[in-house]
Amino acid sequence: MLPQAASFASASGEPLVIAEAVGKIYYGREGAIEAISSASLMVDRGEFVSLLGPSGCGKSTLLMIIAGLEPPSRGRVILDGMPVTRPRRDIGIVFQDATLLPWKTALENVLFPIRMLKLPIEKYRERAHELFETVGLKGFENKKPAQLSGGMRQRVSICRALIHDPSILLMDEPFSALDAITRDQMNVVLSELLETYKKTVVFVTHSIREAAFLSDRVFIMGGRPSSIILDLSMPFPRPRSFDIEDTAEFARICRRLRLTVEDAHTGQSGPQMQRQPPTPAPHQL
Amino acid sequence: MTHTTIGTETGATLKAAPGPSIARGGFRAVLLPLALAFAVLTAWQIVVTVMKIPSVILPGPVSIAEYIFSKFDILIVHAVPTTLESLAGFLLAVVLGIAIAILITYSNAAREALYPNLVFFQLIPKIALAPLFIIWLGVGTQSRVAFSVFIAFFPIVIATSAGLTSVDKSMLRLCRSLTASEWQVFTSVRFPAAIPHIFSGMKIAVTLAIIGVIIGEFITSQAGLGYLIILATSRADTEVSMAAIVVLCVCGLLLYGLVALAEWLARRFYSDGT
Repeated sequence: MLPQAASFASASGEPLVIAEAVGKIYYGREGAIEAISSASLMVDRGEFVSLLGPSGCGKSTLLMIIAGLEPPSRGRVILDGMPVTRPRRDIGIVFQDATLLPWKTALENVLFPIRMLKLPIEKYRERAHELFETVGLKGFENKKPAQLSGGMRQRVSICRALIHDPSILLMDEPFSALDAITRDQMNVVLSELLETYKKTVVFVTHSIREAAFLSDRVFIMGGRPSSIILDLSMPFPRPRSFDIEDTAEFARICRRLRLTVEDAHTGQSGPQMQRQPPTPAPHQL
Repeated sequence: MTHTTIGTETGATLKAAPGPSIARGGFRAVLLPLALAFAVLTAWQIVVTVMKIPSVILPGPVSIAEYIFSKFDILIVHAVPTTLESLAGFLLAVVLGIAIAILITYSNAAREALYPNLVFFQLIPKIALAPLFIIWLGVGTQSRVAFSVFIAFFPIVIATSAGLTSVDKSMLRLCRSLTASEWQVFTSVRFPAAIPHIFSGMKIAVTLAIIGVIIGEFITSQAGLGYLIILATSRADTEVSMAAIVVLCVCGLLLYGLVALAEWLARRFYSDGT
């Protein structure tokens, strides 16, 4: 079950992220809840992978474990050859909401990690302006978040995640709070941005189309307790445009992903929800 | 470039259009309450004059105003200690309130121990405790200021702790992922986020601080507007009492105005731009 080598694999060939049988159990008032039973995956350097699955399948939890923000109950995550035991500074995170400081300008928000990391701000100002230009926000540096649209705020938060040049970008359903049209725009903005700033990306989403369009590889998480039930490469060349969504191959892959997600979903909901009725009517045969 | 041009253009048109109506709204906002106040004062004066109400029961606005202008120096002598003690009580309440809020935000043990007791103390009518402050701290300034702090600090605690905990969970996660220290998170995220909350707490606290000082002056003092009100009332000098109340209103407005001014200054740094 070795993952396929990605195009940007480093000279060492070592995957950037290795999750080894990661499990997570939450202890709540109603006893222990197993969020992830055992998830294993590898992400190569420069690869864009998506964690796809229904809400509550533990995909965000797995992302937080990779970020070092949650300890795993079992197994371990190795990032760049080192086991992840605490937050690391070479990670960029984008959340579902832009989570910007409302009293700071867009530029100050992008430079926020530099301040927290106590790096020299002046050195990163130019990089911030480049990022603004790449995501199409040139001229909006001095606006406050409330003066920007939802899509613009999320673009600011992506710039913020990249400002300190992290080795990996973790994105937790970054576009799911946006409307469908803005979401499509954001997919293009993100893939263009990654053409310029090549990064390894772990992207959590519950949109099949989004995962297929953006990723080199899609992992499907499902079941209860959940694990990784599919690891599928996306064979579309880069740079990608929305034209690939009209191809038969794209439709075929989306269908495969959808059926796998549905299978995982019905499996957890009990026997009455099975996709095949137990006794089909004769005319359907 | 195109973005910016479009932005300024729409901004300009948006600003140009409602300009006159804002000015008209501003006039209304000032004129209407003034007109109502003037109408009530006029009615008051007419009732007092026509019905020949003795000034011990209800002096008219004109005679109160006359008193204020003729005895302005005496009123000022009493207004100064009241205002200064209120200000001292208010400032100490702000410091104490913010300190307690930080303590209960960061220490679970402190929150669990303190919070129920703080709420319990709110259920006591605090005025009932005012004489005790005189017993403990004497008849001087310190007992009035202490009582003023005691009355005024609670809204600051509530508002500040609400503000400090209002920060988005993801924002705190981001800070943690950047290995930011608690101090960095406090100074760059939590405290700035709490500032608008602190100001709303301060606006309540400043009025409570004045109440605290006046109650203290009612009980025992040799100067202050509360003292003047009690003294004048005991001599059936209602005109003086009313004049002191008017001056007290002005002092209250002054202190409230100081808070509003501080908020306006802070807003220039911490507004969200809308």
